[in-house]
Amino acid sequence: MEDLILKLKQEIIEVLNLEDVKPEDIENDIPLFGEGLGLDSIDALELIVLMEKNYGIKLKDPAVGKEIFKSINVMAEYIKNNRTK
Amino acid sequence: MIVKLSDNIVSPLGYNSIDNYNNLCTGNSKLKLYEGLWDIPEPFIASLFINEELDYVFNKHIPTNKLLTKFEKIVILSAYQAIKEADIDASSDRVIFIISSTKGNIELLNTSDNRIGNNRLLLGTSAKIVSEFFGNKNNPIVVSNACISGACAQLLALRLLKTDLYDYAIVIGADVQSKFIVSGFQSFKALSMNCCKPFDKDRDGLNVGEGAGTIIFKKEKDNNISNKDWILDNGAINNDANHISGPSRTGEGSYRALTKVIADTDIDKIAMINVHGTATLYNDEMESIAISRAGLLNIPINGLKGYYGHTMGAAGIIETILSQYSLNNNIILPTRGYSELGVSNKLIISNKTIETKKREFIKLLSGFGGCNIALLYKQGGTIC
Amino acid sequence: MLGIKNWINLNSSSVFFKGTRIATDAYGKDLLVSLYRKYINGYPKFFKMDPLSRLGFVACELLFNSEKVETLQTDNLNEDSCLILFNKSASLANDKIYNETIDNENYFPSPSVFVYTLPNIVTGEIAIKNKIYGETSFYVIDELDATTIFNVVSSSMSDTNNNRCICGWLECSNEDNFNAILLMIDKTSDTLFNIENLRNILNYK
Repeated sequence: MEDLILKLKQEIIEVLNLEDVKPEDIENDIPLFGEGLGLDSIDALELIVLMEKNYGIKLKDPAVGKEIFKSINVMAEYIKNNRTK
Repeated sequence: MIVKLSDNIVSPLGYNSIDNYNNLCTGNSKLKLYEGLWDIPEPFIASLFINEELDYVFNKHIPTNKLLTKFEKIVILSAYQAIKEADIDASSDRVIFIISSTKGNIELLNTSDNRIGNNRLLLGTSAKIVSEFFGNKNNPIVVSNACISGACAQLLALRLLKTDLYDYAIVIGADVQSKFIVSGFQSFKALSMNCCKPFDKDRDGLNVGEGAGTIIFKKEKDNNISNKDWILDNGAINNDANHISGPSRTGEGSYRALTKVIADTDIDKIAMINVHGTATLYNDEMESIAISRAGLLNIPINGLKGYYGHTMGAAGIIETILSQYSLNNNIILPTRGYSELGVSNKLIISNKTIETKKREFIKLLSGFGGCNIALLYKQGGTIC
Repeated sequence: MLGIKNWINLNSSSVFFKGTRIATDAYGKDLLVSLYRKYINGYPKFFKMDPLSRLGFVACELLFNSEKVETLQTDNLNEDSCLILFNKSASLANDKIYNETIDNENYFPSPSVFVYTLPNIVTGEIAIKNKIYGETSFYVIDELDATTIFNVVSSSMSDTNNNRCICGWLECSNEDNFNAILLMIDKTSDTLFNIENLRNILNYK
């Protein structure tokens, strides 16, 4: 799980172009959206692509994404249970 | 005054304005489900040309050996018919071509046909193919302001005709659909798997469409204006300064543009607002907020995306022409796909025809980049 | 009468303000990042932008900062500012990047790249950063042509009654190859905004 969390953080930093953010800057249990990283609706859509591209998880409904992208912990847990690659 | 001299619509619903208008009056649409088209994995709903039919009509009207793309064909076919009706010399240096498109020949990125050449990917180069086709030597101007381009192109015509530079402006809006555009909107989760339902409580996204529309404007002396002439009175573009893709929650830019165009008019004379109405959750809600803030909730609204889908750079022109035809016939066209109000402000909107005697309307559009535009049109008789 | 208050020429290898070169230490896309780090900062969204938006954003911020236009920092005064930009390649630099995400062999269309496949997105980015609620317009023409730019900008300014405008050429054929020549024009500056002066600035080498 630790490995998955670190990998996930690196992937998020890369696909969302979070230039000056390091993996250790992203806390595991605080909301990804809202204040913190300053992510917006386009970032949420890009995370949906990341889920499919890197883990083979198809999220058809963006509203489901909202639940899954609550925090790194929630996201990693969901990936662990649903990944197909 | 700047008046409309002639118009044309080339779309899957017909190859001239009258055919398009009649199809709308009977509730027709060519929106349908496409599966596997252009190798796109997910199915989508769109209003697309039948290419063989388009080629047939094109060749019938315009015998030419020139190698043209589909985009250039619909632009030329639409402009050709409007020029013929207007009976003007399009090659004159007093004529300016203004073209509105979001993606033009973008599909050339994926074709290996070397005969056309990659430089036609450039909107300005493709526009020159069009203006030179009609023998015009002025540099054509392409308006590329996302979904509001078609209305912006009309506003640019108004502005340029107010100067001494030109007497006529040929304004053409067009876009063709492609894997490029459809895949992008799919990645945005913006497309509906049903025929779109503007302003409805069950709306869940837009459909895409193809088409071209042309309006030819003329600079006209005030005392030469007849009761039937459509006058482009004024227009305003305003930015939300909020987000590059999400509509403003306060309808900021749209509200500001609306406020400006009605500043010097009697709003009781306005028959309707022909809105953008893409049928995405946020666009339609945003428009309802803007209209409410501008104090225009008593004016009926309608939207035409349920007939054509979103025709991008063509939308502003096609929707303007159809609004004029409907008011010529004393009606406001139904909003196809709408049944129950699903926005927070009480708009007057219907899926039935509404009668009206009023002679003015507002065309409203919003687009990516946070841009918004409102145009105010008046028919001659109401002013004189 | 419209006057030219200031202008900037930013290309792949150099930056000039009103013809005076400022020191730079990088080239191409690295130049834009280096200018961002040196003069702008505090706007992480910059790194999400496509090549055309990065160019327009940096050029505009430098133009604003060089003049310290106080009124552009406050909310309500900005309705009377507008942005009117022109180029040749529209968003083609980014269109090519998006097109790679829809290859049949590796089909993962990217929403954050797609959104920049419209040239006017850069006007949105500048408007958001500076709270400009006025007109934003993007035009595409076959070649850099001072007459067309002058005609469109001057007729737009007289129609909207805007007091201030950022206008000019913003061309980016790929992330390392670009040229921005942006002017700030207003109703108080002495250098006349006319075709001749505009042409001299646009052709400045």
